[in-house]
Amino acid sequence: MAESRYRAEQGADIIVQPLDDVTLIYHRRSGQTHIVVSPVPEILAALAEGEADVPAILTRLARDYDLDDPGEARAGIAAHLDELVSLGLVTRI
Amino acid sequence: MKHRIMLRIGPASFRIGSAWRQPIADLARLYAAYPQPVDGVADFTVRLEPTRPWRRFIRPSVFIGGDHMLADAAPMALAHGLLAAEMGMNMQMALGWRRHVLLHASCVEKDGKALVMTGESGSGKSTLAAQLGERGWRLMGDEFALLEPETGGVFAFPRLVSLKNQAIGVMQREAPEGRFGPLMRDTPKGDIRHLAPGAEAVARMDEGAMPALLLFPRFGFAPDIREVGQGEAFMRLTQASTNYVTLGEAGFSALTRFVTGVPARAIDFDSGETAIGMIDRLWAELA
Repeated sequence: MAESRYRAEQGADIIVQPLDDVTLIYHRRSGQTHIVVSPVPEILAALAEGEADVPAILTRLARDYDLDDPGEARAGIAAHLDELVSLGLVTRI
Repeated sequence: MKHRIMLRIGPASFRIGSAWRQPIADLARLYAAYPQPVDGVADFTVRLEPTRPWRRFIRPSVFIGGDHMLADAAPMALAHGLLAAEMGMNMQMALGWRRHVLLHASCVEKDGKALVMTGESGSGKSTLAAQLGERGWRLMGDEFALLEPETGGVFAFPRLVSLKNQAIGVMQREAPEGRFGPLMRDTPKGDIRHLAPGAEAVARMDEGAMPALLLFPRFGFAPDIREVGQGEAFMRLTQASTNYVTLGEAGFSALTRFVTGVPARAIDFDSGETAIGMIDRLWAELA
């Protein structure tokens, strides 16, 4: 089965505001504020480079971060993407 | 309505009408120093009317009406008419105000900088603001602080301070008798007595201030001071705001600017003197 591909909301549709302990995401289309912690902001930043599947996102993240266990990281990214899809911040294509 | 009064509190103006004389007479005395609406037109109307026409005379109870209504607003005893008027004004602000982010918070000012205190009912924020207002600070409000999205400044809404239960005795030792309203016993919130803000609070009510310290007071606990992170402060301020969602992006920007620019602490205290000592120290250190 082919990997699902994902697309983040366009930069103009969300405001990402890092605070000292969490990151706020304001979603203009829904008017909702989401409070997230790492690795969600990092996944969104990786996806902002362009639509991608989970392995491609993993590759982008591995460029900037040490990922101890790629298998675990991959499962974690997939789970976070599911949450982001349900919030409307990411679209599965 | 048979009895009415118009007045302005900070940027908001009200027309209050009542089927009875007494609540309006109380308001007229306690709000005597307040200005009229700028152009004679009120932002909000509050109506105190009988629940049934005949109840104006037989065991009267007050129904609070106005431009913005809550479905479950319960009738109140006429003896608590002043409280009904104040609750009606608060309700209009909470449900209808759009020009500022409305924070359910008390606020005092010193040297052009504002101390904002927010917490649940019973946290002591209102009594502390009232006490500070008698001790060299300018009381900006005990119930709402108005945060202006464009500037990040806080504006005053110095309505009558609503003192509950033990707070009544505390403030009777601090402020002259002439500024108090009638003692209302056994209201839905316990005993209540209103206190009119001092002359300076009224005279300077149009002056805003930049927020310099955010406190989350909690009365009834062993004295303690805790740092509050920006994320927690943001979350608690959204919960303390009645119109955050309505304001959309303007509200988001105003609150993120607030929490990234203003230090925040939670303070636990068991007496007003302890809390004021903590506030003086934190203000000197952080504001």
